[in-house]
Amino acid sequence: MQKRNPLFRAQSITGNWRFPKAQRRFTSTSSTHASPSISRTILLLTGASIASGFAGFAWATRQKAIVSLAKPEYGSPQDFQKAIVELKNSFPDKDTVSTDPEDVYAHGFSVNDYHPGFAHSVVVYPSSTEDVVKIVKIANKYHMPIVAYSGATSLEGQFRGHSAGGICVDMALMSEILAINEADSDMARIDLDHSMKYFVMFQTLKASLCFSPQIDPAPTATLGGMISNGCSGTNAVRYGTSKGEWFLNVTVVLPSGEVIKTRRRSRKSSAGFDTTKLFIGAEGTLGIITEVTIRLAPVLPTTVAVVHFPDVRKACEAVKDVMNKGVGIQCVEILDDLFMQAIKNFRPTGRDYPQKDTLFFKLQGYSEASLEESAKVVQEVAEKHGGFGFQLAKDDKDAEEIWDDRKSAHYAGLALIPGCRSLATDVCVPVSRLPDLIYETQQDLKQSGLVAPMVGHVGDGNFHAQLLVTNDADLEIAKQVSARLVHRAIAMDGTCTGEHGVGLGKKKYLVEELGEGTVELMKLVKRTLDPLGLFNPGKLYPDENDSK
Amino acid sequence: MSLFHRCLLQPPRNPQPLPSGASSRPRFVAFTQYSPWSREFPFSWRTRALLQSAVYAIGIVLATNYVDSAWFPKGSGYGSSRDVKIAIEKLKLTFPDTEDGEERVSTHPDVLHEHGSSENSYHPASAHSVVVRAQSTEDVVTIVKIASECKIPVVVYSGATSLEGHFSGASPGSICIDMSEMDKILEIHEADSDLICQAGARWEDINDTLEEKGIPLFFPLDPGPGATIGGMIGTGCSGTNAVRYGTAKAEWFLNLTVVLPNGEVIKTRRRARKSSAGFDTTKLFIGAEGTLGIVTEATLRLAPVLPTRIAMAQFKNVEQAVNAVQDVLNSPYGGNIQCVELLDDDMIHAINVAGFTLKPLPVHDTLFFKIQGDQAAIKLAAKTIAKIVKAHGSTGKFEFSETEEEAKNLWSNRKYALTSTMGAHPGTRCWTTDVCVPVSKLPELVYGTKTDLAEAGLRSTIVGHVGDGNFHALILFSPDDPEEFEKVKEAVHRLVHRALSLDGTCTGEHGIGVGKKEYLAEELGEGTVELMRSIKKAVDPMGLMNPGKLYPDPPTK
Ligand SMILES: Cc1cc2nc3c(=O)[nH]c(=O)nc-3n(C[C@H](O)[C@H](O)[C@H](O)COP(=O)(O)OP(=O)(O)OC[C@H]3O[C@@H](n4cnc5c(N)ncnc54)[C@H](O)[C@@H]3O)c2cc1C
Ligand SMILES: Cc1cc2nc3c(=O)[nH]c(=O)nc-3n(C[C@H](O)[C@H](O)[C@H](O)COP(=O)(O)OP(=O)(O)OC[C@H]3O[C@@H](n4cnc5c(N)ncnc54)[C@H](O)[C@@H]3O)c2cc1C
Repeated sequence: MQKRNPLFRAQSITGNWRFPKAQRRFTSTSSTHASPSISRTILLLTGASIASGFAGFAWATRQKAIVSLAKPEYGSPQDFQKAIVELKNSFPDKDTVSTDPEDVYAHGFSVNDYHPGFAHSVVVYPSSTEDVVKIVKIANKYHMPIVAYSGATSLEGQFRGHSAGGICVDMALMSEILAINEADSDMARIDLDHSMKYFVMFQTLKASLCFSPQIDPAPTATLGGMISNGCSGTNAVRYGTSKGEWFLNVTVVLPSGEVIKTRRRSRKSSAGFDTTKLFIGAEGTLGIITEVTIRLAPVLPTTVAVVHFPDVRKACEAVKDVMNKGVGIQCVEILDDLFMQAIKNFRPTGRDYPQKDTLFFKLQGYSEASLEESAKVVQEVAEKHGGFGFQLAKDDKDAEEIWDDRKSAHYAGLALIPGCRSLATDVCVPVSRLPDLIYETQQDLKQSGLVAPMVGHVGDGNFHAQLLVTNDADLEIAKQVSARLVHRAIAMDGTCTGEHGVGLGKKKYLVEELGEGTVELMKLVKRTLDPLGLFNPGKLYPDENDSK
Repeated sequence: MSLFHRCLLQPPRNPQPLPSGASSRPRFVAFTQYSPWSREFPFSWRTRALLQSAVYAIGIVLATNYVDSAWFPKGSGYGSSRDVKIAIEKLKLTFPDTEDGEERVSTHPDVLHEHGSSENSYHPASAHSVVVRAQSTEDVVTIVKIASECKIPVVVYSGATSLEGHFSGASPGSICIDMSEMDKILEIHEADSDLICQAGARWEDINDTLEEKGIPLFFPLDPGPGATIGGMIGTGCSGTNAVRYGTAKAEWFLNLTVVLPNGEVIKTRRRARKSSAGFDTTKLFIGAEGTLGIVTEATLRLAPVLPTRIAMAQFKNVEQAVNAVQDVLNSPYGGNIQCVELLDDDMIHAINVAGFTLKPLPVHDTLFFKIQGDQAAIKLAAKTIAKIVKAHGSTGKFEFSETEEEAKNLWSNRKYALTSTMGAHPGTRCWTTDVCVPVSKLPELVYGTKTDLAEAGLRSTIVGHVGDGNFHALILFSPDDPEEFEKVKEAVHRLVHRALSLDGTCTGEHGIGVGKKEYLAEELGEGTVELMRSIKKAVDPMGLMNPGKLYPDPPTK
């Protein structure tokens, strides 16, 4: 073996030459020894070139091997310390870089879920795209994980710290609205630094009579987080989700530190596949979004109606029927009997609803008259399917109150058992399968003994069971119920997450849902953009052993 | 290498005094003593050996590179003409003629030519080497595998209505997959408002089938007549309905079954109406123009069919017309507007001359509105529109079609716009342009373009999906006047730049193909284009899928 190795041979030749006699001979410039030295020279040189050739080849292939490494390598704790020093030097303002233990801890955990978490090594508060670029460059230099953090309302552990430590980029300072182009026809657009808080935005935009319709996940969610989780909410029935056309373009700092703007501002463009869409639902694993242009929809008059049903199936049928009538429906939500009871307990001064499965409609129209017209259609259809107790809001204040009942569901549910916490679930199936899904889940819950009110965005086939737990034993049961629920949904051609995203909690289901090939394609895109694997590692993409 | 060489041979900082004999020689000859081959080489034999071997090593590397590039010419990486022949043989073996003697693999020159070029575009086009008709996903997989074994490019041909040379052949030879036999509707789920079909199905056939079956749903994307689902995904199309329903890049494609360049088949998502399971790989293929994989099946979301009526208003100039559109869409009836189309005076003139419609219209810049909703809503909307257009200085009568029959007749003006343009100017050909800007910038763009075309002395008609800021100038030229053709090309170039300077796009709905490649980096920035390229490279490392389209060549440094 060794004999055939040219490298070895080359060494042995030079070995010969190290012989003192030979050395003397070779260095001598006298011509008398020319001919033997020439042949030896040739031998030496061939050997040396072959050796260097192989060395070069080995070097080149070694380079390749690094790129295709499956497991990312992070820097050592010492590297991270250096990185932190460098961050502090780059951002002299002492509030920008924080290693305060409370701060790094708080940014790595969430009370909203139960996934294991780690504190970040450092939290940085950038205030511009350039700041983010600086941070990304430092992360690259020291091979340090980097996790964006915005509203922190995610429910699947999306912004948990990595076990190796890392930089948390808190986008709180980047919440400025840069421009509102209301003149741009019906739907003004606004360019804004992504981290605009929902309520601020709502106020600002109400003034200009516009709103961005799909913006209704949790009340403090931000645009950066909404894009990254591919969120939606109650308005999705009318306006679709964040994967539709609400984000005209995003400015992104790529893992390489390069800044790109994915598109321009025209409302549509066929200029190739839309790279904006890559970042929607990527959970901060492909880059950090620093600016967004969103499309807005005109605010229309709305009103709210409630109607009760003997069971979920009838309610779902009614929804399907109403939707195909083409009346202006902005939202349609189902709350089960348990939730209705919870709401009654939670808001004792409120209305007296029957403890039945209930539909909340938000109707939308161009005038009072058209709203009444729509309400009539809804009532007719609902009653045809066994609905009763139809109530239409008398005025705007009334409508707001009823809708608040719906909005308070989360907290009302939590109040059912004092001191409990909730494990949120979030599956979505083709709408015709929703009654089956809810029914089977109800049976399952009954057997498990958990208290779990349910709420659903029925218009889309999306629903959440709020699994209430008070102790570890309950939590274990809840986790099993949740896993069964996901398998049930996937078996119905549905998804493990309708709107909350994958994070840590759902990645084990991704292969089952999408198939090995699609997941591999996602990983390929990830590797292409982030070869070092620094951006929000451990989230979204299933681990190797999750497949199968 | 020369630099490297020179460095190595550089004399030390303080050269030792030369032997007296050497000093008398000319300088450059004296210098040769530093050559490692010189007997007078002043340093140790080790240095000499090292320098010599370094030079040989570099020589070997260069020689290998040279031989490599001479034998396997760079840039192609594709199979030779012999490989193309092998591929054709393999295809013929795999796909024998059907029982009734029809060929599934064709190398007939007419077929090859027809599948590689289009009446609708004037970009250089080349014929394919072979055309194969696929009937199933498995067929496509087989073809892709043969293509990658022989390293032959693959180009999909579907409805063939695309306008930017999207399906032209590739120069080293290409296999064209004809999707026309993959046009089945596989499943209709009325209760879920969705439908599964093969990629060769035409959108018009889908809507006809739904209507025949009495299912009150339809698929709202409406590009050119004859376009198919696969092509619509490929180009990221839209159409008149985009005002109300958005484009192919919205949520109308729930999932796609795709054959990747490595022959693997993936389904991008399941059938739920929404999902947050990571970024949506469906979207990678929408607008990818067949460069990332071949779509074989798709699940489409459907929308309820609503009654519609048509209204028409005429204006003294296009600016007034376009300004009115924004106010209409901003009114509470904005949601009832399904389409807003602008036809300029030249177009109306052409329609009158061509005479495909029932009655001629006054020659003015004209807006057509398609209003949807129940009767009451439509009437109220029409009334509001009438008021708004009046405020913007509309001339003549505001037309509103009360009955379905009338609506159909009025809309036929819009429908026959392109055919009328050709009909009114027999013997000419027409270059269809397609830019899109933020809606508030549209009046400026349309006005600028009309003036520019007039100044250049070109004949044109304009039709625009103005609700989205998208418009097409159809520029006419006579086929045997190369000078005029040049002028058209220049005008198109100026038009694109005008749109880009207004924060718009070089293509609102027709796609990039070969025609718009040169504008992509200007529009999106080199970084974004590089991102697209790197995804292309990762998904299709051999570059077999529709090469030469979409991605501009990297800038030469
Ligand atoms: C009570 C309650 C109700 C909810 N209801 C809904 C609902 O109806 N619909 C729904 O869809 N969701 C809902 N959610 C979930 C949550 O609100 C959404 O997922 C939301 O989109 C998260 O936004 P965030 O700003 O809080 O993001 P964060 O939690 O801060 O971050 C989310 C992810 O995005 C990444 N990220 C954040 N900012 C950036 C950036 N600038 N660039 C790149 N990556 C970034 C983070 O790293 C993380 O992975 C609810 C949550 C709660 C607590
Ligand atoms: C009269 C006329 C009017 C038009 N009006 C409009 C309009 O209003 N709006 C609009 O958007 N467009 C319009 N177009 C353009 C054209 O109709 C669209 O671009 C359409 O989407 C093309 O579809 P096609 O089936 O003809 O695709 P093709 O021309 O066959 O192919 C288009 C591209 O997609 C690729 N492709 C095709 N099938 C597949 C597949 N299965 N998998 C992967 N890639 C595939 C092809 O390789 C090619 O690159 C018009 C065209 C004409 C002639």
